Amino acid sequence: MTTGTRISSLPLWRQPWAINSMVTAASVLVCLLLLPSRIPGMELLGVAPHWLLIWVVAWSVKRTQWQGAVAGLVLGLLQDAMTSPHPTHTLGLIVVGVLTARLQKQRYLQEDIISVALIVFAMAVIAETVLALQISLNQLLAADSLYPSLGKIWLYHQRIALSSAILSSLWAPALYYPLNRWWDRYSPEP
Amino acid sequence: MFALRRWWTRHALKAGMVTLAVSSAWLLRANDGAMIYEAYNWVTRPLQPGLSREQQFENSYILELQERIVELENQNRVLHTMDDYESTATQKGIRAAVIGRAADHWWQQIVLNRGSRQGVAVGHVVTGPGGLIGRVVAVSPNTARVLLISDPTSRVGAKVSRTRAMGVVRGQSNNRVVMEFFEKLPDVKAGDVIVTSSYSRLFPKDIPIGRIESIDLTKSPAPEAVIQLSAPLPILEWAEVHPFEPQETVDAPVLPGATPENGTIPESGSESRP
Repeated sequence: MTTGTRISSLPLWRQPWAINSMVTAASVLVCLLLLPSRIPGMELLGVAPHWLLIWVVAWSVKRTQWQGAVAGLVLGLLQDAMTSPHPTHTLGLIVVGVLTARLQKQRYLQEDIISVALIVFAMAVIAETVLALQISLNQLLAADSLYPSLGKIWLYHQRIALSSAILSSLWAPALYYPLNRWWDRYSPEP
Repeated sequence: MFALRRWWTRHALKAGMVTLAVSSAWLLRANDGAMIYEAYNWVTRPLQPGLSREQQFENSYILELQERIVELENQNRVLHTMDDYESTATQKGIRAAVIGRAADHWWQQIVLNRGSRQGVAVGHVVTGPGGLIGRVVAVSPNTARVLLISDPTSRVGAKVSRTRAMGVVRGQSNNRVVMEFFEKLPDVKAGDVIVTSSYSRLFPKDIPIGRIESIDLTKSPAPEAVIQLSAPLPILEWAEVHPFEPQETVDAPVLPGATPENGTIPESGSESRP
């Protein structure tokens, strides 16, 4: 109770939860601004790292699956805003958030940068597969679908899933390490 | 009721945060991410390109001019046999720098640094060194998002400049596009120049697209040609936006019972999102 009164006596913008959420929102904004850029060295076959996916993985690694799902939903909506809402990115990122949170990391994986890079590699493939499945469904079910044939979709999927997975996993530590350090310091419920 | 109140006192902050995050993300989505692109434009302003790689662009310009000459020669020949030829008034376009690419791997889009404040609107046609690039699909006050003609969902009504053989150009996510012809045996050969056709609803006619690289006449259901785009889409740094009103109604006959958007009718060289 004493800590509660001490904390609430601080002005709003200096309370830990406010600082924490501001830093979190700022990191999302940085990821969003990195998405349309193609900085030399961050590009492979015209594909850039999937920064939002790295963020969702970094967020979900030490959280519950509900928190992972909400992060996937929010960032998916943001990516929809930046490209096109059909097919939606929310599904793929929600799946990534839930799966990352459900992984039995204590048992199989150690908490280090290599294992995060591995998780990001697998999750990038999964996210692209979810999108490719949506496009294939649209191609199969909608009579006036504008998408190319299934063979072409999945050939393209192979190419971008692989380059996105490689690039994202290589760049994952750059985002995961500072974010994880920050959240460890300002954990909301100590 | 008591359980609900206890849940609320414990999770009020968290629930509020989640609602705030989801609703603000939804709001951003509702206006097509205009705020994000404004911020992106502002952040990348020092990095926006100056004039470089001039050699490549000069080559593309020369190619474009050559294709325009071929097109003009053919037009001229047709003009002699025609009285009611209406000229297409070419308007001055808005120059814009390419400041970004698609925010995702499945779309072929670019972001330009000119928006509604400079007079760019959805539906305007974008050309670059080399010819047609795409059309504007979303604008914010200072940026515009362009769907490239190399996008798989993009359709452009096109014709072979030499023989007037008609077809639809579809993107393939790289610098080559595929043209599907309407005729079974079109009079085409490798090297022929492809321009937009007058049947296209979303693009003005006679803008150069590219050259035929190879032809597959045995392809079913329609013969196909692979076209090398003359605009260097992967290294594009500058583009020009031309005001254009997409024609939603054309005089060309439409099959009864068919929707004009589905891209199967020969007369509708259209491109849209599902």
